[in-house]
This record gives sequence, structure tokens and C-alpha cells, in this order.
Amino acid sequence: MTASVDHVMAELQGRVRERVRADLVRHGASSALEDPALFAEIDEMLRVAIDRSQPAALLLPELLGDPSTWRLETAIKYQTHRGTSGAPIMFVKRRLLMPVLRWFYEFSRDNFERQRRINQVLFACVQELAIETTRLRRELRERSGERLDRT
Amino acid sequence: MKLAFVVQRYGAGIAGGSEMHCRQLAERLASRHDITVLTTCARDYVTWENAYPAGRSVENGVRLQRFPVARTRDLKAFADLSDEVFDGLASAPEREEAWFRANGPDAPALLDYLRAHGAEYDLILFWAFRYAPSFFGVPLVADRAVLVPTAEEDPAIDMDVLPDFFARAAGYLFLTPEEETLVSTRAGRSLRPSRVVGIGLEPERNPHPPRPLLDRLGIPADFVLYLGRVDRNKGCATLLEYFQEYIEAGGQTPLVLAGPSTLMIPEHPRIRALGYVTDDVRHALLSHARALVVPSPYESLSIVLLEAWNHAVPALVNAQCKVLQGQVRRADGGLYYRSSREFQEALSWLLSNEAGRRELGEQGLAYVDREYRWPTVLERVESLLDEVSRRRSAPRA
Repeated sequence: MTASVDHVMAELQGRVRERVRADLVRHGASSALEDPALFAEIDEMLRVAIDRSQPAALLLPELLGDPSTWRLETAIKYQTHRGTSGAPIMFVKRRLLMPVLRWFYEFSRDNFERQRRINQVLFACVQELAIETTRLRRELRERSGERLDRT
Repeated sequence: MKLAFVVQRYGAGIAGGSEMHCRQLAERLASRHDITVLTTCARDYVTWENAYPAGRSVENGVRLQRFPVARTRDLKAFADLSDEVFDGLASAPEREEAWFRANGPDAPALLDYLRAHGAEYDLILFWAFRYAPSFFGVPLVADRAVLVPTAEEDPAIDMDVLPDFFARAAGYLFLTPEEETLVSTRAGRSLRPSRVVGIGLEPERNPHPPRPLLDRLGIPADFVLYLGRVDRNKGCATLLEYFQEYIEAGGQTPLVLAGPSTLMIPEHPRIRALGYVTDDVRHALLSHARALVVPSPYESLSIVLLEAWNHAVPALVNAQCKVLQGQVRRADGGLYYRSSREFQEALSWLLSNEAGRRELGEQGLAYVDREYRWPTVLERVESLLDEVSRRRSAPRA
């Protein structure tokens, strides 16, 4: 008999999921998670959302409007409103301050990158939940329509 | 056929994946075709500093023409431009093109050569879409360009200028089905003609060498292996974290890291960092490992994974990388993880289930035999080159 990766992984992931569920419940998560089947479905839905979190597949950034009001800017842009008289300030910023502060800038940039990823994943989760809610709403409407038809 | 191979760097000591792929194909196809490799004088992929003399030469039976790099990479400007272009929102096309120019290597003489002499070649193969010679070179000779994108699921693939770029080539060679899907999805259409070719491996002549080499290094009988650069970008920081959690949870089998490191490796009795190892040690490690761990989140093809299977060693890979997950599932040659708990569970399974571990390793070897032997790979490459060539010479309706 050949060992099937899918088969082994399904078994391992099931064990991990059960351990995670038990830990969450033990630490005070919603009692809804006491139902293993429900938990498995929630886990699956969130995994799908994470897999679909690439920026081009997200609706919320479109709806949020002017990107300058919400997006993370991680590149430093050296600008001055003083025209040519601002050149010495630019020189001080670029050549004197930046080399000293570079370590802090790079540390922050790594953290901004993580925050950006979390934002995208949360956008994707909200999108997935919105899709589910809309489908359920539509299904409810159709069912209540059927009931009305019958009466 | 008269072929040109365009690649950012070329040379026996260059370890990059796309460079190695190009060199191995050039050396194996040189007896069948008239091949010239068009490349730069750079050896270092970070700075692109000129290191080889410009001009013509022959290396291992392959004709080369090297072109000088006009300017080294400005790392600060490149990092800032990357931040701007990869911020998840549409960038102006000229900023994205500036990114490709900043990424380099900037070899204007190579592009001039393609402009002047491109039509003298039947087909021109370009490796690695992300580098300037491919990005600016393909459009110059689009009617005869075959692109080997070596694309990974990193932010560069999302750039808005890429759908047009990808659609321009006359043919495509992909390393895995996942890479083909990724590039076709970004291009917005199926890219044809194409072949998924991978890379070739020779059968292992001595799959079970004796242990003395490893004994001398104090490597225990049972160990899990990581092979390659020990680098954050390769997922090694997370691997070290997960591995320590595995040990804290009662795991016993040590981890051996073989490769130069850019990370602080924790002092731990169950973590052995060997640094750079010779080919003999590498071979012995691969032969005797209980499992190979591949933690990289970005890969277009993991050669080290295929090498482990060539020794019938199963793998544990990062599921975040679709290519790695796809490879182990197609081969039935290993397990994968998304979290520390899955890592622990899968590693424990491999180390405590000897029959299953062996079976996964043997299935990996069977997969390499089926898909990744040179005759199979070269046949796929030749069939794509023939198809593109026939299409080019066919009269248009």
C-alpha cells in the first residue's frame, strides 16, 4: 500500500485542529467552539480567506478611498516645501540624520511589513465573512419568499 | 537551431537557481544546438559589480559573450523603490519600470546587442523575469523570445506592467505547474505554447555512502537536515523557532543546518550549525538524514527537495509555499506545515513512523525518476523549442 500525503496530512491536521480547539475553549473562547464540526468549518473558512489575501483580490482597499489616508507608507520621501532654500535641511536629513537613525528605520520597516500583511489578511477575512453573510441573507430571502408563496 | 541564452549571471561558481538552470541546460544542449550565452560581467547578485572580463569566451563547451554592468545597484534607492512599488496599490508604469532598472543588472550593451543581432538567432531564451536583461530584453526580440520566468509568489509578481510583459514572449518554460498557474493568472490568460520542464538530476550513484565523514563531524545517527543558506528570507528564523518548540514539547531528534548563515543561530544542544560544507559532506548528510526540512515561503522549484528524494529521503516543507506543497503532494514524498503545531505533529510522524517515512522517501525517488531525469527534461525543452520554431516559420493566415 502506498502512503498518501493527503491522507496522512488530513489525520495530522485533524489532530492539530482538535488540540487548538480544546486550548481555545480552555482559555475562555466562545462556547460555540465546543462543537468540533463547527470549529472545523470556521477553521476552513479562515484558511480560505488567508489564501485569498493577495492585495489585487481585495475589495476593501477600493472602498476605503484616498490611499493617502489609510495606507502604510514605509519608504522615506525626503521633501521640502522651502524650494532651493530647503536644500541644507534635506542635506542634514539625508546625510547626517538618516545614517544614525537607519537601524531604527529598518526595524520599524520590518514591523510595518508585518502590519501590512495582517491588514491584508483581516481585509480578506472581512471579505469572506461578507460573502457568507450575503449568501445567507439571499438564501433566507428566497426561503421566506417560498413560505409566502405557500401561504 | 541557433539559440541565445540570456541570463543575469553565468559561471560555474554561481549558485543562484535560475543561473544554474540556465547553465545546466546550456551545457546539455550545446552538442545539439549552436548556443551562445549572453550575460553580464557580474558575479555578485546584490551589487552586480563587474567581476568577469567583458567579451567572448568558452566555458565548459559553451560559448559566452559577457557585457559590462554600467552601474552597481544602489541598495538604498532600490529598497525605497521596492517599498513604493510593493505597497499593495497600483503604481505608475514608469515607477515599476524604474524598479526593474534599479533591480538590474543594468547592462545596456547587452540590450544593444539584442537590438542589433537578435534577428540572427532562431530563438532567444530569457531567464528570470525580475531582472533587467529579461524585462527589457524580451520586448526587443519578442517574436523569438522564450521566457523562463522562474517566478515566485513574492510581491514583484503583482506589478501592473507584468501582464503585458508576460504576454509578449513567443513561448514559455516553467519549473512547476504552480509557477505556470501563478504566471498565467497574473498575465490574465493561458500562456501558450509552454512546457513545465523542471530541472534534471542524475541518478544517485552512491545513495548510501558510509558514515565516517559524519562521525568525524559528530553528527548523530538520527538527525533532521536543513540544507542551504541559513537566512531569514529562506524561512530559517521560523524554522529555528518551531524546532525549539518541538524540542520543548519532548522532541529528541536534532536539527543539522548545513550552509552559510546570515542569522544568529541559538546555542542549543539539539541544533548543530555546520556552516558551508563540502560536496562530500553534503552528499553524506543527504544520504543519512531522517528527513529534509524546507522552510522557505518562496520557491519556484526546490532543487534541494529533489536532491533529497534522489536519496529516498522524505521532506517536511512550508505549506505557505504552494510550489513546495504541490511538489510533496504530487510526489507523495513528504509532509507540510502551516504552524508550529503542525510542524511538531508532522515531524513527530516522520520520526516515529519508520515504515511510513521510508515509503514517502521511496515515493519521492520514484517521482524524480518519473519527472526529473535529464532525458525527460531535455525532451520537454526540445519539444517546446520545436513548437515555437514551427509557429514562427508557419505562414500567417
